[in-house]
Amino acid sequence: MAISLQQILIQTVNGVVTGMILALVASGLTLIFGIMDIVNFAHGELFMLGAYVGVLTLAAAGSFWLALLSAMVAIALLGALIYVTTLRPLLGRDPLTTILATFGLSLILQNYALWQFGPVARKIAEPISGHFTLFYLDYPWYRVVIALIAGAMIFALWMFLKFGTWGIWIRATTQDRVMAQAMGIPVPLVLATVFAIGSGMAGASGVLFGPLTAVDHAMGLDWILKVFIVVVVGGMGNLAGSIVAAIFISLLEAYASLWVSPAQAVIVSFVVLILTLLFRPTGLFATATR
Amino acid sequence: MSRRPASIYWIGFSIVVAALIAAPLVLPTFWARLLTEILIWGLLAMSSDLLIGYTGMVSFGHSAFFGLGMYGAAAALLTVSPPNLWLALAYGLLGAAAAAGFVAYFSTRLRDIYFAITTLIFSQIFYVIIFTWTAVTGGENGLTFERPLLAVPGLIRLHLTPTNLHWFVLAVVVGSYLLLRRITQSPFGMVLQSIRENEARTRAIGYPVERYKIVAVMLSGLFAGLAGVFYALQNEFAAPDFVFFIVSGETVIYNVVGGIGTLVGPIVGAAFFLLLREGLSRFFTEFYLIPVGVIFVAMVIFMPQGLLGFMRRWLNQ
Amino acid sequence: MNPGSGAAPGAVLLEVDGLHSFYGKSHILHGVSLVIGRGEVVGLLGRNGVGKSTTLKAIMGLVQPSEGQIAFEAQPIIGLPAHRRARLGIGYVPEERRIFRFLTVTENLRTGLDRHGVSKQRKKALLEKIYEFFPVLVERRNQAGGTLSGGEQQMLAIARAMMLEPKIILLDEPTEGLMPRMVGQIREIISVLQAENVAVLLVEQNVPLTLEAASRIYLLEKGMVRHHATVAELRADHSIIQQYMGV
Repeated sequence: MAISLQQILIQTVNGVVTGMILALVASGLTLIFGIMDIVNFAHGELFMLGAYVGVLTLAAAGSFWLALLSAMVAIALLGALIYVTTLRPLLGRDPLTTILATFGLSLILQNYALWQFGPVARKIAEPISGHFTLFYLDYPWYRVVIALIAGAMIFALWMFLKFGTWGIWIRATTQDRVMAQAMGIPVPLVLATVFAIGSGMAGASGVLFGPLTAVDHAMGLDWILKVFIVVVVGGMGNLAGSIVAAIFISLLEAYASLWVSPAQAVIVSFVVLILTLLFRPTGLFATATR
Repeated sequence: MSRRPASIYWIGFSIVVAALIAAPLVLPTFWARLLTEILIWGLLAMSSDLLIGYTGMVSFGHSAFFGLGMYGAAAALLTVSPPNLWLALAYGLLGAAAAAGFVAYFSTRLRDIYFAITTLIFSQIFYVIIFTWTAVTGGENGLTFERPLLAVPGLIRLHLTPTNLHWFVLAVVVGSYLLLRRITQSPFGMVLQSIRENEARTRAIGYPVERYKIVAVMLSGLFAGLAGVFYALQNEFAAPDFVFFIVSGETVIYNVVGGIGTLVGPIVGAAFFLLLREGLSRFFTEFYLIPVGVIFVAMVIFMPQGLLGFMRRWLNQ
Repeated sequence: MNPGSGAAPGAVLLEVDGLHSFYGKSHILHGVSLVIGRGEVVGLLGRNGVGKSTTLKAIMGLVQPSEGQIAFEAQPIIGLPAHRRARLGIGYVPEERRIFRFLTVTENLRTGLDRHGVSKQRKKALLEKIYEFFPVLVERRNQAGGTLSGGEQQMLAIARAMMLEPKIILLDEPTEGLMPRMVGQIREIISVLQAENVAVLLVEQNVPLTLEAASRIYLLEKGMVRHHATVAELRADHSIIQQYMGV
């Protein structure tokens, strides 16, 4: 089967769109890992619950943008609650215990969603219905808009971390939690806030991605796997690395799906992971700083 | 356990085994079947304890070994005629060993959470292949087959009734337990435990730590595959759901709930978990995983040494 | 052996009483007691591993003592987390300095500066004052902390603690690994702190520096204060220090 240049370009656009959302989900996870050594297995479930909050808000208020905002806020609050009740007692213990606890959480949240919303998948309507012509395709504007929104949110996070007191507090705590505390930084508050921010980003991603897929209780599972691959390839806790890796892997999967089914295209990211582990175990995009 | 006189240990061991032998004769069919299932999941959990409890490596990839055991057995039973039990065992173990070799080679380069995450991701490779390669694996629907005869030429020729199967499984689990116990107490097992305590020092003394880890993962994978073979035999099917990482997570749960580094603990954990599921599913129907999850999370936080460790501490007071 | 002797009553800033601490199963502190007055420079001497650093960490709240009391300005602080103690006015300069390597010099300083209740002008004035004290940091203000030399990092660590406007600074081996020329600078900084009425609890291996900077010395052995004397007394009888420092 001959693949045309146009097909490749279209897949490039598709890859960047999913890549931006993946980057948004992954940067929350890697931010949380970087600062408190917590591997949040339930991150995919926060993504899923965000999508459901979006569905509910959309049904009640009819505004996609309100849905996006409320999902972000609701899941951020849920994240803070999870942190305070479940994860704070585990700080300082082996990071593995946090994987175990968050795995338990993911079971709880997933089944809660199944119980609450049932097995039938929900839809989120595209807020923007326009199309433009991309070669031979009618390409929905919405996809381009998602990529832009996700990009803007990542940029906002970046600026937040780079400038201002909270950014300094978060970066200082990431580098040396004990010394940060000795400098008067309210570390418990910083950690809860970071967990809330990371969760809120996952929740927002769920709503953004919602229109491209079916919203159901199991949708977080695919994502957590992808996100894990991304953060290992990007270097655990390395924010910039995760973002680059997310786009890189999504592009590869998009190209692969020119030849094989999307379910099989996942194997490409496994291959990237294997190669990363073989040649650069600290992450493909690992740099000196984080 | 080692402090107590060995005779008490063996008396207790014999009582438990005797009770398990007698169980299918007294228990109603449903509970007898559940007991067999507990033993199989217990074997899976015990296999993973070799890594979690003795080597300090938490594997989130045991579903792959278990699943390859299932599909290996299915392959033997569906392709060879007449179906042969021993061939099913051989194929299953071979499949599990291949998967374990692959996972071990890559993931043992990493430690701690990185090991956990990579075992998880690698096990998913097998899931994706099995799920999408419909022509061979039956895809989403999996494979079904008949239970073979338990036959040794010239000696026995038995139908694997639920009761027979129970005894067979029991023999295998007890045998595996004794073998694993032996392994953990052997010089090899001591090296594994020293890796758990201090990997750098173990390497400095001159042990090829990576090789030990690979062997540990392979061994653990073999026992997990064994559990997979018997699960396939009990249920007469192989399905992709059992290769999915949730099964690996549950295996880790059994370990944590029962108490890691004890071999028996994970079986207790599996029993606790399955009985809990049985009990709770009457009240919560299919949402029993919500209370199970809550109990598990609470145990991770408040009872990190597991049920067995908790009981031991409580008894010592 | 009375730890209170020497500090004028009423001017007590920090009082540590009967501190016990464990690291895992090993008993590190066996009842450390000491007192520091306002603006006073006090030395804490002893061989390696006698619990000097642990004492500082316990005061800062980075190590939880199993027993004992710590009072700061007559208020018990034993249950407070470290960041609350820092805000009360306890500055900490750890061994190894522990600069935030990927933060710039200014950002390092701002970790201590950016707190509630400090006006913009006040912050600016403080920053300028510190840069006046440490001109070497001005040139490096936008450089990552990790790229500084050992001596510069030590300056930054002290400057960072000073941003809290502390009433006491806990200095853990500030001259360790520094070139001799830098030791004089550390001595100067301590004088400046003293002039600003900031108390210093100085842990050192460098006995001459400690004798020069401090007014009183506590000698630690096996997690206990074994001897306590003014500098004048120690200068009169060299055998005491030799007994505890093995020099």
